Amino acid sequence: MKFFILAYKNLKRRKSRSFLTIGGVAVAVAVLVALLGFNAGYQEALTSDVDKMGYQVIVTAKGCPYEAATMILSGEAGLRFMDEDIYNQITSDPDIDKITPLLAQLAYDPEKQGGKGGFINYLGIEKSYIELKPNVKFKSGGWFSAENANEAILGYEAAESEQKSVGDKISIPDKDITLIIVGIFERTATQEDGAVFLPLKTTQRVFDIEGKLTGIGIKLKQIEKISEFEERLYPIASIQVISMSQVKGTILNLVNSAKILIMSVAFIAIFVAIIGVINTILMSVFERTQEIGIMKAIGASRSDIFKLIWMETLIICTLGGIFGSVIAIFGGNLTELLVRKVMPYAPGGRLLLITPDLLVYSFLGVIIIGIISGLYPAFKAASMRPIEVIRSGE
Amino acid sequence: MREYIVKANKLKKVYFSASQKIIALKEIDIEIKKGEFVTIMGASGAGKTTFLNLIGCLDRPTSGKLDILGSNPTKFNEEKLSRIRIEKIGFVFEDFFLISFLNALENVQLPLIFARNYKNNNRPRDLLKRVGLDHRLTHFPNELSGGELQRVAVARALANNPEILLADEPTGNLDTKNAQELFSLFRNLNREEGLTIIVATHNIRLGYSADRVIHLNDGKMEKDERLVK
Repeated sequence: MKFFILAYKNLKRRKSRSFLTIGGVAVAVAVLVALLGFNAGYQEALTSDVDKMGYQVIVTAKGCPYEAATMILSGEAGLRFMDEDIYNQITSDPDIDKITPLLAQLAYDPEKQGGKGGFINYLGIEKSYIELKPNVKFKSGGWFSAENANEAILGYEAAESEQKSVGDKISIPDKDITLIIVGIFERTATQEDGAVFLPLKTTQRVFDIEGKLTGIGIKLKQIEKISEFEERLYPIASIQVISMSQVKGTILNLVNSAKILIMSVAFIAIFVAIIGVINTILMSVFERTQEIGIMKAIGASRSDIFKLIWMETLIICTLGGIFGSVIAIFGGNLTELLVRKVMPYAPGGRLLLITPDLLVYSFLGVIIIGIISGLYPAFKAASMRPIEVIRSGE
Repeated sequence: MREYIVKANKLKKVYFSASQKIIALKEIDIEIKKGEFVTIMGASGAGKTTFLNLIGCLDRPTSGKLDILGSNPTKFNEEKLSRIRIEKIGFVFEDFFLISFLNALENVQLPLIFARNYKNNNRPRDLLKRVGLDHRLTHFPNELSGGELQRVAVARALANNPEILLADEPTGNLDTKNAQELFSLFRNLNREEGLTIIVATHNIRLGYSADRVIHLNDGKMEKDERLVK
């Protein structure tokens, strides 16, 4: 039997109290791990989302509010249209590597989601769209047969949720038209997985917006040239240039302000856990006044008692850390679900990124908390004088 | 080899409690040799416990000289006092003072932990056998009788092979039969292992079963009897 066993046996003696305290620590750790994991995961998911878009720059109609960039990211339409001429005008710019015109449209489908209703996102594209997006591949079928064909390509999730495959027909709500599905994209883990893609010309015709675009996606030969490129576009009064890093920044800003709020909640949880640990250990020290006195009388030194009490605190915090990490890992899906409901924009892919590093750091953090919160009770216990304790027992 | 285990010279202890000054020991001189079996007798408040606490390094004297096993604990700090207690002194108390959440064997192992003596694995078991409790190793204090509790406490006191065994009213909570058995255990330990034993007791009959009886009264030594057997 060693010190550790001695400390453990004492905690076992007061099972429910020890477990409640461990639970408190576990919750604090779980909150911390989940939040930090979310922080890392969200940034990574967002970055990968933006990178997967393939564009570095989006050109939209002027007046399209800045946040509309967010809407474009999330697959919804920009608010305003621009003339197709602008596309022809800038397509010859020497810094452009790849360029593709985009026309996004939304239509409300009362049948969607099993009758609950919802928006369907239609995206008019040209072949250059695929060239710009290296990760967009066909799961089945292929490209439209003609520029003006009544055909559609479904995003992975759109096909899944509608139970459609190549050759099936779909219609657009309130439009008198039937489209044949010619292809289905593989999962890209972006918002576009839920979109219905049509040929650009077909989209313009069906939605009665001939000669208009909502955006132009551009990849530059060198991203460093972006400011020169923007300057050249400046004279075109009716458009604005939005770089993806700007979009990222805007979204991250939104997320950051939410993060500060959540972080302060986490710190309160941790603070409460610390108080709980101190209270539990201190109570047990006071209850064991006589026992500690006996141990000292039979030869335990100050440092022995200090070590013993401290070890109890560490056991509580270590177990709390382990349980908390387990909760964070397995409860991560639930957290993700909640976050997706609350966040202004949630990128595709996993939001919660719990890395071994993160777990190790949170664990170390909790051990440090244990060390700190054990100090006072341990000091208190170690300072007890055996003679007084024995006398009070008589 | 040291002849004296305890050498007290003008040993004085004063307590202050609630603005009251209590002189528990009034400059007493006592010498106890190695291998002696001594009982300290006297009424309540005579200073028996105070004397045992001082030679047991649980407390420091107010004045006077004290020599325990060749060292002077008056000047030791708490850490050093606990070192002496764990290595050289075994304690037995009236209220047994066993740790309730540890079984008999673990209670006897406890001093070994504090002494960082992890090698002597069989000693606690042997000691419990020595005090006749080898069938009670895994019993917890609340499952043991008074006599058994005190014998576990004796085994615990002997765990680190001390040079002195101190017992403060060890029979106070025992019936006559168990009290007698405890004293014959002391007697055997003293004879067979040469252990120096100092026992404070009220019990006149048991007190006189020792080799030497020191009578304290009101903090002073009244009589020092050496019994010839």
